[in-house]
Amino acid sequence: MKVQPYLVASALLVAALMLSVAVGSVYIPPGTLVRILVGERDLPVAFTTIVLELRLPRTALVALVGAALAGSGAAYQGLFRNPLADPYLIGVASGAGLGAVLALSVRWPYTLAGLMAVPLAAFIAALLTVVVVVSLARSGRALPAANLILAGVAVGAFATALTSFLMLRSQGDLRRALVWLLGGATLSGWLYFLAALPYVGLGLVTLVFSGHPLNVLQFGDEQAQQLGLPVARVRMVVIAAASLATAAAVAFSGVIGFLGLIVPHLIRLVWGGDYRRLVPLSILMGAAFLLAADVLARVVLAPQELPVGVVTALAGAPFFLWILRRSRKQEYW
Amino acid sequence: MNRRIFFFTFTLLVLTASLLGACLPTGKPSSPLATQPAPAVTPTQIALVDGLGRTVRMEAPAKRVVSLAPSNTEILFALGAGSQVVGRDDFSDYPTEAKKLPSVGGSMSKYDLEAIANLKPDLVLAAGINTPDQVKALENLGLTVYYLPNPSDFNGLFNNILAVARLVGRDQAGEELKASLETRVAKVQAQVARSQERPLVYYELDGSDPTKPWTAGPQSFIDLIIRTAGGRNVGADLSSAWAQISQEELVKADPDFILLGDGAYGVTPESVAKRPGWENLKAVKDGHVMLVDDNLFSRPTPRNVDALEMLAKWLHPDLIQ
Repeated sequence: MKVQPYLVASALLVAALMLSVAVGSVYIPPGTLVRILVGERDLPVAFTTIVLELRLPRTALVALVGAALAGSGAAYQGLFRNPLADPYLIGVASGAGLGAVLALSVRWPYTLAGLMAVPLAAFIAALLTVVVVVSLARSGRALPAANLILAGVAVGAFATALTSFLMLRSQGDLRRALVWLLGGATLSGWLYFLAALPYVGLGLVTLVFSGHPLNVLQFGDEQAQQLGLPVARVRMVVIAAASLATAAAVAFSGVIGFLGLIVPHLIRLVWGGDYRRLVPLSILMGAAFLLAADVLARVVLAPQELPVGVVTALAGAPFFLWILRRSRKQEYW
Repeated sequence: MNRRIFFFTFTLLVLTASLLGACLPTGKPSSPLATQPAPAVTPTQIALVDGLGRTVRMEAPAKRVVSLAPSNTEILFALGAGSQVVGRDDFSDYPTEAKKLPSVGGSMSKYDLEAIANLKPDLVLAAGINTPDQVKALENLGLTVYYLPNPSDFNGLFNNILAVARLVGRDQAGEELKASLETRVAKVQAQVARSQERPLVYYELDGSDPTKPWTAGPQSFIDLIIRTAGGRNVGADLSSAWAQISQEELVKADPDFILLGDGAYGVTPESVAKRPGWENLKAVKDGHVMLVDDNLFSRPTPRNVDALEMLAKWLHPDLIQ
C-alpha cells in the first residue's frame, strides 16, 4: 500500500471539516448551507447565525484543539520515550484546572476582560505548572525523562487536590468551574479561536521542526548527546512548545482525554514512527479525529450534547484496540 | 538555566498580575435590583438591569421566550405567560404543559445553541445556574438575554417575579402574584412567632453517601425556608450553601425533623432508618422523617411558598390551621 500519507490525512481532515459544518442539531438543507458559505445573505437569519456564528467558529476551534493535543502527544511520547505519555503528563491539565478555579473564586464583572479571565488564568497556571515541574526535575544540566514524569505526576496530583479543595470551599460560582472542567465554555463567535490560535500555532510549528531531534533522541540520552544533540535544550524547547499548545487548547476547550495518546499511536501503527512525519500527521489526524468525535457528541443525544471527551474515549478506545490487533508487527514501538 | 527558568516564571507572574489588574472591576458593581428602571424609556419600551448588571432593553414585551432553567419556566407559567414560551431546558418539568415545549438542552450545563437560535426567540431568560460565558455566547448570536439571579430572600424572589412580569408584558399579574405570596409568607411568620419553640431540621439534598450526605448550608434558600417556617437548620454553620455534613456531626446534632429531598434517588424514610447509626436519631424514633419534592425547596419559584407553608405546618401543627 503506497498511498501518500499526507494526502490521506488531509482528505480525512477536509471530510471532517465539511461534516462538522454540515451536521448539527438543527437541519439546514445542503443547498442553503452552500449559499450561506459562499456569502449570500438573503436567507433566514436563524440559519446564517447558526452556520456563521456557531458552526464555523466551533469547527475551527475543535480542529485547533485536536491538532494541539495530538501534535503535543506525539512530541511528548518521543521526548519521554514512553508510549503512555500524553499532553497532560507533566501537569498541564491539572495546572489549568487549578488556574480556572482560582480565577472563578473572584467575581468578575460582566466585561470582555472578566469573561476571558478564566481561560487566561487556566492558560497561565498551566504554563506555570510546567515551569515548576521542569525546574523540580532538573538535575544539574540534565533533564532526565523519569524525573520529569515523576515530578509531573506529583505536582499534578497536588494541583488536582488543591482544585477539589477550593471547589468544596468555594462560596461562589462553583457551577462555572464545573462547567469549565467538564469541557470548556459554551462557544459562539470567533473570540476563543482567535485567542488560542497564536499559542497553538507557535507551539505546533516548533514541534513540526523538532522531528529530527526527536528521532535522534530515540537512541537514548547518552547516544544522542554523543551524536551532537544538545539533549537538555531540545527537551526544554519541545516541552515549552508542546505545553504552550496544550495549555492554550485546554484553556479554551477544557480537558479532553485520550486523543493525544491514541492519534500518534495510530499513525505509528499505520505509517511508522519517523518523527519528521509523525508530528505533522498527528496534527492533521488529531484535528480530523476530534472533529468527528465532536460531530458525534452533538448528534447522539441531541438536543443534549455529550462532553466530547466521553466520545473520544468511547469511540477511540475500541477503534485503537482494533488497529492494534490488526497490525502484523508484534512490537511496533 | 536556573536563571532562565526564574526569568520565565517571573515574566509569567508579571503577565498574570497585569492581566488581573486589567480585569479588575471598573464599572459599577452588578446590581441585583432587578426592577430598577433605567432612565430614558418611552412607555412601550422596556429597560431592566439584570443580575449581571447589564441593562436589557426591549422595544416591546417578549412574545417568544426561551427559558434556560426550570425556575424561570415555573415563574413564566405562574404569570400566565405560558403561551409566550417557545422553548425550555431539559429540567423544566412543571407545570406539565411545559414538558410539551421543545427542549434546548441544559443537561451537564450544555445548551444547544443551534436549537435556541432556530426558535428565533425575542427573549432568552437565563438563571443563576447559567454562567456569564453562556450569556455572552447567546448575546453574540444577537439574542436578547435577561439573567435572573438566584434570590437570597423572599424579596429577591418577588423582584424576580416582577422582572419577568415586566419582560413579558404582564405587570398586573406580577403585582397580584407578588401580593398574594407576600401575604402568605407574612401569615406563616406571624403564626410561628407565637411560639418560642424552634425544632432542629435536617434537609438532605443527596444521601448517596450516607456517611457524609449533602445538605443545605447557610445562605441557601432552603436554610431561609427552614428559618422562616420556625425551625433551625442543622447545616446553618457549614462553610457553604451546599455542603457535606459528616454523619458524626449529624448524630451529635440529633435533628427533630428530617426532610428528604433526595427521594428521586431512591431514598425513603425506611431506607434512612436502616442506615447504621441513624436508628437512634430523635427524628427517626419519632417518625419525623418525610419525603419532600425537592423542586419546591431548591428552585427559586412561587412554589417556595408552598414549601414554606407545608414545612411550618409540619413543625408547628398546633400553631397553623
